[in-house]
Amino acid sequence: MQNSRSIKIQEQDKEIEYKLLASIEELEQKGQITKWIDDHDILLYEYEGKIKAISNICRHFGGPVGYHKMKNGTFTCLWHNWQFSGKDGSCLTHPGLPLREYELKIVDNEIYINLLG
Amino acid sequence: MKKIALSLKCEREMDCPRDVIIWNYYDHEHLTGTHYKYYNKARVLAEKNDWALVYRSKKMPFLPFFSSGIGFQYMVNENVMRTYHKDSVGFLLQMEAHFKELPNDRCLVTVYYKIETHPIFKIFEPLFKRLFRSWFDATWDEDAPMRLRRWKTYKLGFKDFYGIDYINKKLTKPEKTEYEQYKFDPPIKSLPKIKSPEGEVRPFSKSAEIGYND
Repeated sequence: MQNSRSIKIQEQDKEIEYKLLASIEELEQKGQITKWIDDHDILLYEYEGKIKAISNICRHFGGPVGYHKMKNGTFTCLWHNWQFSGKDGSCLTHPGLPLREYELKIVDNEIYINLLG
Repeated sequence: MKKIALSLKCEREMDCPRDVIIWNYYDHEHLTGTHYKYYNKARVLAEKNDWALVYRSKKMPFLPFFSSGIGFQYMVNENVMRTYHKDSVGFLLQMEAHFKELPNDRCLVTVYYKIETHPIFKIFEPLFKRLFRSWFDATWDEDAPMRLRRWKTYKLGFKDFYGIDYINKKLTKPEKTEYEQYKFDPPIKSLPKIKSPEGEVRPFSKSAEIGYND
């Protein structure tokens, strides 16, 4: 799904664009969300009270990491059962192939993502 | 004794190149992942180039038990893959998958299932057809989004055991991603786990599924 709404936030001496990903309400209802934005497949979830976003594309063969709901703080990719930590996207089964973590901003109960951060 | 053949033909089209489908058939590790509801164990006993000898334990639709067996898989030619399955039920199943490229990166897959057996089993032909039609549909429905996602991420520049460059390096996505024609030459580039004596065991049999978003 493509989503064009965005906000721009001044950070240090740069203007950073954040794209709308989901609302807090939507995340609370679903518990875990995966969404394509501008050819990034994002996995959005809550881990120990913090909202986090990592790449949903497994670095093995490209499988969907967030197909199954997170269990005990761990995601298991559907295709070949590679496992990743919800804490930071690190790969538990094959260390050295972590998932990229994205920067988020929450503004007015909406979650925005920096695709370059 | 003259034998009879119980047979079934299943056919579907896919919105991806033929080689993505062949990649999927040679990906033995995905049996306990993508098809975790049906397969609880898989192990590559031996493989070389386009042939593979694979041990599998699975539960087919309607059947209340798991059956384990051996499958030998090879390419008859570049458009036909044949597999012989022998499992604990005792029948020798021949499965042939025919691949045909269609325009616009699409393809046609035709699968033939055949068991040669004693004429007395002719009465079970309707059951055979129902069982294998359900098996084909169930596994196709699980493989289809995998194939489409594989093709989609390939076009975005995905490389096995690496990922996508603009995602990993936090770069602006290129305006246009150049990609070569998708080519697959078996065997699949894999990790040693599934080829170990333990093979690959599914980590769970039930899951709260969020699903695909492609």
